[in-house]
Amino acid sequence: MKQFYFFVVLLVVSVGLGGCAETKILEEVGLTTLVGYDLAKEDGVESTAIIRQVGTELQSKVSIITAENATIQGTRAKVNRRAAEKLESGQLRGVLFGDEFAKKGIGHSIDTSLKNPAISEGMLLAVVEGDTKSLLEYEYPSIDEIGQHIHKLLDQNIKSEQVISSTLHEVSYDYYAVGRDIALPIIKRDEELVDISGIALFKKDKMVGTLLVDDSFYVKLSRDDYHNGTHELKVKGDELSSTLLKDPPDEISLVFDPIKTHRNLKLVDLKQPEFDMNISIQARILEIKDNINIGDAKSAEELEKAISKKLKSEISRVIAYCQEIGSDVFGYGEYYRSSVRNSELTEEKWREMYKEMKVNVNIDFTLIRSGVFE
Amino acid sequence: MKKSLQIRPSDTINAFLLFFIIHAAQIGIGIQGFQRIVYQDAKHDAWISVILAGLATHIIAIFMLKTLEIYGSNDLYGIHQDIFGKWIGNFFNIIYILYSSVSFFAVLRNYIDVVQSWVFPDLGTWFLAASLLLIIIYTFTGGLRVIVGMTFFSVVLSIGLFPMIAFPMKYMEPRNLLPILEANLGELLKGLKSMSFTIIGFEILYVIYPFVKDKENAKKHIHLGLFATSIIYLSIMLVTLTYFSGEQLTKTIWATLSLFSIVEFPFIERFEYIAVCFWMLIILPNLCLFIWSAFRGTRRLVNISAKKFVWIFSSIIFLVSLTFKTRFQINTFNDYFGQLAFYIIFIYPIILYFFATVKKKFKSRKEQVD
Repeated sequence: MKQFYFFVVLLVVSVGLGGCAETKILEEVGLTTLVGYDLAKEDGVESTAIIRQVGTELQSKVSIITAENATIQGTRAKVNRRAAEKLESGQLRGVLFGDEFAKKGIGHSIDTSLKNPAISEGMLLAVVEGDTKSLLEYEYPSIDEIGQHIHKLLDQNIKSEQVISSTLHEVSYDYYAVGRDIALPIIKRDEELVDISGIALFKKDKMVGTLLVDDSFYVKLSRDDYHNGTHELKVKGDELSSTLLKDPPDEISLVFDPIKTHRNLKLVDLKQPEFDMNISIQARILEIKDNINIGDAKSAEELEKAISKKLKSEISRVIAYCQEIGSDVFGYGEYYRSSVRNSELTEEKWREMYKEMKVNVNIDFTLIRSGVFE
Repeated sequence: MKKSLQIRPSDTINAFLLFFIIHAAQIGIGIQGFQRIVYQDAKHDAWISVILAGLATHIIAIFMLKTLEIYGSNDLYGIHQDIFGKWIGNFFNIIYILYSSVSFFAVLRNYIDVVQSWVFPDLGTWFLAASLLLIIIYTFTGGLRVIVGMTFFSVVLSIGLFPMIAFPMKYMEPRNLLPILEANLGELLKGLKSMSFTIIGFEILYVIYPFVKDKENAKKHIHLGLFATSIIYLSIMLVTLTYFSGEQLTKTIWATLSLFSIVEFPFIERFEYIAVCFWMLIILPNLCLFIWSAFRGTRRLVNISAKKFVWIFSSIIFLVSLTFKTRFQINTFNDYFGQLAFYIIFIYPIILYFFATVKKKFKSRKEQVD
């Protein structure tokens, strides 16, 4: 019994001492919800942090602080000196890179984020057209807190597969993989709103090119399987046969919803290298201009053909562009490594091969239905 | 044979508990970050090394059991004394006691490092070491049955962590595993060797065997325990290899904890913090079994009470843990310890079995002559 009391006392003492570890009380800390990095003078970093401070009565106050320094953590310390509360990064939901910063390279920033155990690997990354500071500091009349808003905006669009998923984990996966490059969504301020305007393509950690937001569908399609999301397509009028529509206009716009897609990649030539990419898409038409009747099987088939042809040319265009700028966002290199025994693929080796790579795109588009009204 | 251990019936344990003891003794601190160490040797075929290591444990366990069965009811320390005589036998005993103590230290110091890296960067090593050691002293003084009871609860309560690896499966790239068997046999075996730090612990069998009540059932439960461990290691390795890309994995120190960091619930956003703290429950049986094993050996050398032993032992460990300050020191220590463990666990039992059978033959012939 004596021993039991002894341990009870020890327990009380150790719990008491354990409580002396650094405390982080919600009302006493400032939660950084979003950080933007811009290029500052002399290769430094300019950080803009959105800080949220939760009060005792559930009201929260948001402040935006900017600081410049040579390193990322250095700016953090500087921001901290300008903030009313101690900063914590456990609620960091997003990191934005100004496009100048992204062109210089984001590898270091990814590395720093991964080192910090407080930062979640589910955090989202994006590139900003222009600089992040002006995007974040603008007073949007309809947006309460810009940090939360941008996170929700990206998250929602990623979940509905409108843009490429850019969690810290996936970005660092691509960054450290041989034969796979980073692709991030681009956002910009559009008058009073924030808008996803495209995707940024990286070579290793440097941004080398951009694609329009509509093209991100093609990147996604050739990267992995697709489940939802809608896509608008313009089919050239003269690609449609006359049975479908007499006297077709120059362009016909239609919107479809890919219900199920499947990408099948095959390496057919090791030397060059040459890939066969077969993509099967099962979709439903949501909207089609000029009231084309697709009720009967024959005209549906005609339309399928026209859409396949259009998709094929679009995807080939996107791949050609990525090859030109030297960014393998599709992961062909990784596919090559996993298909060729003892390939010993290195970064440089793949960069050389990627330029010469040839991809034969085949689209198998199936129209399943067109809603409840024909 | 003489020197057989006399154990009071109230101290014995049921054979089915061996499943929990073996399993809990194996899974400890290594599981948090074994992936990158094996990956460095066997690349994307690291999962094959894990299977090989699992098979090796089964084979070694057979050798251990056979050795123990020769003696009926004796532990490693008694077997040493019988085979090699008092002096050389005790020399081997000291080595094994030291090995158990170093294992104890390895688990403790690595766990402290994990806690400091993930949760409390500013908390002193002395504080964490002291509080963990106090819990261990408390458990240890309860005796073997308390230790085994805690082992049981540790396994049962931590089962809930395992399904969490389903969350990172969302980001899997199964093609990472291809082409299968790109690594050659040498690299795979090197990977197996790197697994030893993670997979050891089942050598507790050597010490706990005499305490098992129904020894005829022991075999089944031991192999089940080893099998469960192998399955867990294998599934974690497969998820890790497909979740991380090559260089990303070599830079991730505790890949298992990083896997948990993607787990998110509406009521808990950062699951790995729970996992790190919960891990104490996983390493406690480890620590208690190692200290108990060291105690059993020390008892053979000097007459010392359990209470006195545990306080002296803990004070030494406490002081030693303060001398390790940097990650670099801990990593170097782990490397050396892994090498040592490989020879003690994977090579030595076979040699010992050889000696035991020779000795047995020799003795039975002598008895015939008499």
